[in-house]
Parts: sequence; C-alpha cells; structure tokens
Amino acid sequence: MTQMPINDYLIRLSNIYKSYQHSDESLSILNNVSMTINKGESCALLGASGSGKSTLLNILGLLDCADSGEYCLASHDIFTATPDELAAIRNRHIGFIFQSFNLMPRLSALDNVALPLRYRNTPRNQAQQRALHMLAQVGLEQRARHRPADLSGGQRQRVAIARALIGEPSLILADEPTGNLDRRTADEIMELLLSLNRTRNVTLIVVTHDPAIASRLDRQVRVDNGVLQEICPCPR
Amino acid sequence: MSALGTLVLQELGASLRALGKRSVLALIGIAIGSSSVVAMINIGSNAAEEASMIFKGMGVTTLVAQLPESTRVGSVARLTLDTDQLRAWVPNLLNIAPTAQTGSSVTFKGRTQYTQLVGSTAELPGAMGLTLREGRFLSAFDQGDTYAVVGHRLAEDLGTAADPLRIGDRIRVDDYLFQVIGILRNQPDSLLIPVRANDSLFIPLAGMRRLNDSVHIRDVIIRVAAQQDISATAAALTDPLKRLSGAQDVDMMIPQQLMEGMTRQTRTFAYLLMALGGLSLIGGGTGVMNVMLMNVSSRRREIGVRMALGARRRDIRNLFMFEAITLTAVGALCGGLLGIACAFTYANVSGWTFFLAPLSLPIGVLSTLLVGVFFGLYPAMLASRLQPVEALRDE
Repeated sequence: MTQMPINDYLIRLSNIYKSYQHSDESLSILNNVSMTINKGESCALLGASGSGKSTLLNILGLLDCADSGEYCLASHDIFTATPDELAAIRNRHIGFIFQSFNLMPRLSALDNVALPLRYRNTPRNQAQQRALHMLAQVGLEQRARHRPADLSGGQRQRVAIARALIGEPSLILADEPTGNLDRRTADEIMELLLSLNRTRNVTLIVVTHDPAIASRLDRQVRVDNGVLQEICPCPR
Repeated sequence: MSALGTLVLQELGASLRALGKRSVLALIGIAIGSSSVVAMINIGSNAAEEASMIFKGMGVTTLVAQLPESTRVGSVARLTLDTDQLRAWVPNLLNIAPTAQTGSSVTFKGRTQYTQLVGSTAELPGAMGLTLREGRFLSAFDQGDTYAVVGHRLAEDLGTAADPLRIGDRIRVDDYLFQVIGILRNQPDSLLIPVRANDSLFIPLAGMRRLNDSVHIRDVIIRVAAQQDISATAAALTDPLKRLSGAQDVDMMIPQQLMEGMTRQTRTFAYLLMALGGLSLIGGGTGVMNVMLMNVSSRRREIGVRMALGARRRDIRNLFMFEAITLTAVGALCGGLLGIACAFTYANVSGWTFFLAPLSLPIGVLSTLLVGVFFGLYPAMLASRLQPVEALRDE
C-alpha cells in the first residue's frame, strides 16, 4: 500500500441525506452519511439488502443525486455540476463494474471495451488499439472479436473490468462484481481488481456481502439502516 | 467525428436488425407515405406535360367553331360557308376550314374499313397543320370531283405490305369510286380538333351530298394570325358565323379553355394525392414513434449503462435519433422506388409518355426524413431525459 498524504482524499461525502417519496410517507434511505476515501484506497461496502448500500454506491457513482449534503469527487463539487458535466466526470474519473456485467450484447468484446472512449471522441483506431491493450491486460486479447454471449461469466466480467479501466479512472465502483460467478472465478476476479488497485493506484470501492472478500480490502464500511459504521479502519 | 460516425453507423445496422419485425410495419407505413408523395409529384408533372403536349399539338392559334345539328326553321342542311364574307367581317383569319363528317365503310381491292369521311376544303391542311407524304391535298378546283386524300393509318389498313395504297388508286365509298390524290403523314391527334386525321378519308365538302344528303357543316376549324388575341377573335366570330351558317348557336372552343380545364383537373388530383401522401406519412410517422418508444423502453438498461460510461444526454438522444432516421431513410428509399413504379404504371395506363420529375425523389425522400425526425424526436428526448439510476434499475 503506497503511503498517501492524509488529506489527499478522492471522495469526501458530508451530511448526505437521501429519502424516497413512497405514496404519502417519505422513506429515509441515507441518514447523515459522511465519509472520506483517499486516493489509492480500497474499501468494501457491506450491508444487508435494503440497507441503502446500493443507493450510496449510486450517489458515489453520480448515477443518483442526494437530497442534501456535500459531495466532492476529485475536486469537483457534484451538487453544482450540470448533467453534461456529471457525464464527463463519470467518463473520466469513474469505472463501473456491475454484478450482471452489463455488456452491450450486439458489440464485440473489443467494441465494448472501447465504448467509454467513444464518448470522449477518441479516434476509432486509437480507441481500438487501447481497447486491445486493455483486453491483453485482463488476459482476453484472443477473444477480442467475440460477442459477450460467446464468453463465460468470468470472461465477461474481465471484459467489463477492461471497459471500466480503459478511461484510466481514479475510482472503480464494483457492485457485487463476483455475485454471479463461481468461487474460483470470483477469486480470480478479486485478485485482478486488487492487483489493479495496487499497480495503478486506482481507488477501489466494492459492494459485497461476502466477509471473505471484504477482508481482502483496506477498509470495510457497513451500511446499516442508512448509517455508516467503519468496521476495520485502514491501519495508517 | 468521422470515427464516431462510422462507429455509430456500424452499431446502427445491428440495432435495426434488433428492431426486427416490429419495424417492418412502421417501414411499410413510411414507404407508403413516401411513395404517394413521389407518385403524386410524378403524376402531376406528367399530367401537366401531357396537357402541354396537346397544347403544342394543336397550336395556340387554332380555334374550332361548332355549329349545332339543328338549323333555323326553314333553312336546309348546308354544305357551304361563305369564307370570303367571314374574312371580310373578321380580320386576321389565316385559314377557315368548314368540315362535315359522316361515318361510312370504304372498300379497296376487297378490303373494307369502317372510317370517317371528312368533307374538306383546300384550307384544311393550313388550319390543322396537315402535311402530305405523297401527292397533293384537295384544291379549290376539286370540289366537284370524286377525289380523296387518305389518312396515314387508313392508308396502311387499306393497303398491304406487298401492295400498298398508291396515288391514282380508286377507293369505293357506297356507289362512288374516289380517286386517291394524296396520302397524309402521320399526324398526332389533338383533343381540341374534332378531326382524327390518321383514320379519316378526306373528300371535297361539296361532294358529301352525293353520299348523305342530311350531312351538314358541323365544325369550322380556324387558324388566327399569331399575334391576335384568340379569345377576342373567338368572340368576334360568333355573330358572323351565326349569320352565315343560319345556326341558332355557335360553340367556340379555344385551346386555353381546354388547358385550364385540364390543369384544374390535374391540380385537384394532385391535391388529393398530396393529402393522401401527407396522411400516410403521418401514419407512418406514428408507426416510427411507436417502434422507437418500444425500443427505448426495452433498452432502458443499455441507456443506463451508456450513461454510467459517460454518455451525455445528447449522445443518447443522437443514438435513438440516428436509429429513427435510418428506419425512415430505408422506408423513404423503398417508397421512392415504389412511387416511381406507381407513377410509371399510372402513366402507362393513361397512355402518357412517362418521364421522371427530377425533383420528385429529393422532395419525397426529404419530406419523409423530416417526418422521421419529427416523430423520432420525442422517444429520443424521452430516452435522453432518463435518470441513470432509473434506467439501470431492473424492471
């Protein structure tokens, strides 16, 4: 673990509230959540379903908006950003990895990986070259022309990881990345994510309810009824 | 940008295939709309062209005075008209050709044809613009003779390839033998002029009485000097013609009137087609909108993922706009070809010569694309306004 200055944070959430309007009553999901994550840290988000950890992940990933509070990501104030700016921040700073992979079924693995670069207007040749390089890093350069349907679950998640990494993000958000994979493949995928975290100094946040996976990360944060609880603070 | 374009295009083909059977119906609607616009423009311009051909055929300086069957009580059916007197009363008349017609069978070397006998004077070729292939036309001195001039098609029908009709041959009409002194060139029929030159046998007007004593002058074909106002001349002719012929009424037919009638009819028809085209375009447009709405709702998750990967609202909007426009473009092109085929068939059935109106394809395709843009915009906007978290949420 590379040592970081203590104030070199990537994410700073303060006093985040989020509730959903359900018929007449409003349902509180996140209740005064504050949290700081430094560059290069890895952090597990634990919690039962319905605890609000998915909502927290959506807010962290700029897919959802908190009702009140402050959110600062890579020195951008998220609350004052326009939708286009949010899209640009997602494109440049965040790589998503989903439980169900969410690859475009009609695109080849290569085109799937190159997709984020399209939204930066990277020339096609260059985007494809970088995508091929990325696929090589996850060990799938032989499958570049395959469609997602022709790949195994583990291979699909590797393609998704390559897609998340191609934009050289500072943050990877993984929502139960191994939830749909068998034990051995899950280990491989986690190993890949952790090595990327170490070698590329990418901040890694993983939503999981597997304590074995959580224990391999620097920090473990439990979400319980909309409140955060640090289980194992980063030894620093 | 071009790299973006090719990538977008590449994905388009795939998405259209995915739209599949649903899009076929929308495609048909769009194609019908686009084809009726293209057909409308082509049929309209062909009709106008046809009308102007007729116009050219008869010449703008020709008019026809029609004398009714019934003459004033006491007057006999007449076969003469004092053209010199008429010329004296009304100036600037180049040719005045009174004609009388009756149907009869004619026989040549045992071949019989039913044909139209046209009692004519020497001025008829000038008034109608007839030209001769062989021989000469009836002159002012032939009125008492049994001479005949044969129309182009009639000459072909009466003769055979080995034994064509020649000058000097004799054709039997009733009990009379008429000597052929001239054969006409092929002559286009004109709507205005009541003489079908190709199928007629021209004989001296005065000689008509030999064959049928009730026949009388019905049409007077008049050519006016080019610089004259033809409507004013027609008005000036009415009274003198009544006086000279003894007819109670004279019907003047002038090319302009006929033209106006035809263009009015064409315009009505074009408007009807235009309304039809517009309606089916709207129908097709709603079809496109329906397909695109279903497309958007079945690909919500994909929209969410694209947004998570950094697609801006306009990227999502453009993605669906491109698909809607591709769908309509395919429909517009099919419709364009179908429309030309329809116009071609219509022209053939109407006996017109078909030609492609140069603007019909661009206008038809462009208006269809506009409809596609209009009806594609709402689903595309809807897709682009989705919140990423809503789009990603499982149904």
